[in-house]
Amino acid sequence: MATIRSHARVHRTAEDVWKIVGDPTRIVEWFPGVTEATVEGNNRTLMLKAGLPVHEEIVTLDHRMRRFQYRITGPLPIKYHLGTMDVIEDGEPGCLLMYSTEISPDPMAFVLDGVISEGIGNLARMLNDHTEEQR
Amino acid sequence: MGRKILFITTDQMRYDAIGANGGRVARTPNIDSFAADGISYDRAQPQNVVCMPSRSTMVTGQNIGTHGVWMNGVPLPVDSPSVAAVLRDAGYRTALIGKSHFEPLLDPFLRFEENQQGFAGATEGHRGFDHMELATHGAAGFTHYSRWIRQNHPEAIGMFFQVLDGDLEVSNVPGGDSGAPQIKHNAVPRDWYHTDWVADRTISWLDGLHSDDDWFCWMSFPDPHHPWDPPESELHRVDWRELDLPVGYPQNQAQREAIIDAKPRHWRLWYDGKLVSNYEAPGKWVPATLTADQIREVNAMAHIENELIDEAIGRVLAAIEAKGWSDDLDIVFTTDHGEFQGDFGFLFKGPYHVDSLMRIPLIWRPAPSAGGGADATARVSKPVGLLDLAPTFCSIAGVQPPEWMEGRPLPIDDADAAARGFERVTTEWDSRQPDGTEIHLRTIMRDDFVCTTYQPGTVHDGTEGELYDLVLDPLQQINLWDDPERRSLRDELLIDLAANFVEPIEFRHAEAPV
Repeated sequence: MATIRSHARVHRTAEDVWKIVGDPTRIVEWFPGVTEATVEGNNRTLMLKAGLPVHEEIVTLDHRMRRFQYRITGPLPIKYHLGTMDVIEDGEPGCLLMYSTEISPDPMAFVLDGVISEGIGNLARMLNDHTEEQR
Repeated sequence: MGRKILFITTDQMRYDAIGANGGRVARTPNIDSFAADGISYDRAQPQNVVCMPSRSTMVTGQNIGTHGVWMNGVPLPVDSPSVAAVLRDAGYRTALIGKSHFEPLLDPFLRFEENQQGFAGATEGHRGFDHMELATHGAAGFTHYSRWIRQNHPEAIGMFFQVLDGDLEVSNVPGGDSGAPQIKHNAVPRDWYHTDWVADRTISWLDGLHSDDDWFCWMSFPDPHHPWDPPESELHRVDWRELDLPVGYPQNQAQREAIIDAKPRHWRLWYDGKLVSNYEAPGKWVPATLTADQIREVNAMAHIENELIDEAIGRVLAAIEAKGWSDDLDIVFTTDHGEFQGDFGFLFKGPYHVDSLMRIPLIWRPAPSAGGGADATARVSKPVGLLDLAPTFCSIAGVQPPEWMEGRPLPIDDADAAARGFERVTTEWDSRQPDGTEIHLRTIMRDDFVCTTYQPGTVHDGTEGELYDLVLDPLQQINLWDDPERRSLRDELLIDLAANFVEPIEFRHAEAPV
């Protein structure tokens, strides 16, 4: 099992950030390679630019805690996955955007780490050009 | 009208793979003819022994620490300098056909330009290449070759060895007659195989040029890199049962293991299957289980693949001859790194800086119109590196090598090499695996010695190393690192290494395992 994490400080309110993160269909606006996102109940299906679907289960969508969790269920060769996005008001200006992933097999961590970091960067830029991005 | 440049690379080819370098199995008359009419470099080394860092050095002419591709999976930034751009700006038509691997291949989100072009079938290229048509080791992925197979011969997709297993690890599924890892008898017809496809696409690109165009074509064959799955129609070429075992394979198990035990600890850890520090070596494969027959069969497959490459080169040369370009044609032939192929009881590659992986074939056949030919034959014993290729191409084209290139035009003989100070070559390894394993090697080769120091990581504490006398111990079986009589030599080499090594400014994140 590998764990990876990306984060960015966004100079916008947590409420503003959550409007995007807390809407599972809006991933197309910021996540690389995703051309379409549909949600039916607790299931989200992404369509990738390469024509591949990715099936996911929405585990948590907590508007009070501003936490979104999902699992990739197929068809990528993944044995275990839990992705967690937290939008955190931490007393500093703006808010903290945190994206954590637990994944098996380990080699997928390389792939997801790169694409998630790019996605977090896209999201931060989209929200605020003055965001300090950090991996 | 200037000189044309045909830059031919293979992937993971040993120095001794070709007849011109003493190979006695694969018939490589076309490659051998380059040596007969040109300059052979007997001590050429890559700056890293895996694909992406090494190929990034070829295209930039820079050390690993400068271009920053320090391990497989770290993409070469799209705005990195490129010798192709320099040549294009000088009026050359430029193409890269075959394996590029400047960007990760495992790219399900299609983030990287080369995969995007391959997926879309676009050929406009980038990095200074006007034209790109890309391939890798089979039908998987987003290369132009995989697209071509999918569109024209979909039944062939399953014929190739499936490189990744269900755990997304490099597969160790046994095959062939001996049960060696990564061997498959491939039913794909020869003219669908990537070696012939690379030659076909090269000829097609050349056919589209005007007769007075100057051009630079990097023709990059994916073989003989594993998996070893050449078309089964060609297996008759080499009977693996008839092959001698490599001289670098100590057949006595106790002797073999004693040699390994005298090397830094990760050698034995890999041998016993307790540590894999290179994603491309199958994680579930234990080298200690490798049999003599498996070594023979792997070698036979590599020889067959090398013969196919040589014949494909011959077809391209005939096409060039038909266009009337031969007299103005410079040919540079090399590879990105070597392969164990049984040496010490190992296959594949990794953080092991011995000649199996570090000594590579490199031949430059200057254009006959520029003095190339039988009268200009030379063998250069002084050390050179792949970072010297880009400035050599500039030199051929009559262009001053830009300051950002860190190599120098290749010497034409040993006297030239001595006059211009070709005294040393360095090679490095850095790796960080998802489980946290880190290994860092820094190597210098000079004065017939190879010296490697291991920086602190998760396996080594910074005190280990390797020192080999290439004259007395050409197979590098006697590690002199701890020999008190060699201590001053070791210290001198390490001082020279420190003075000439370019350390990475930063370790950018790997974006994929490969």
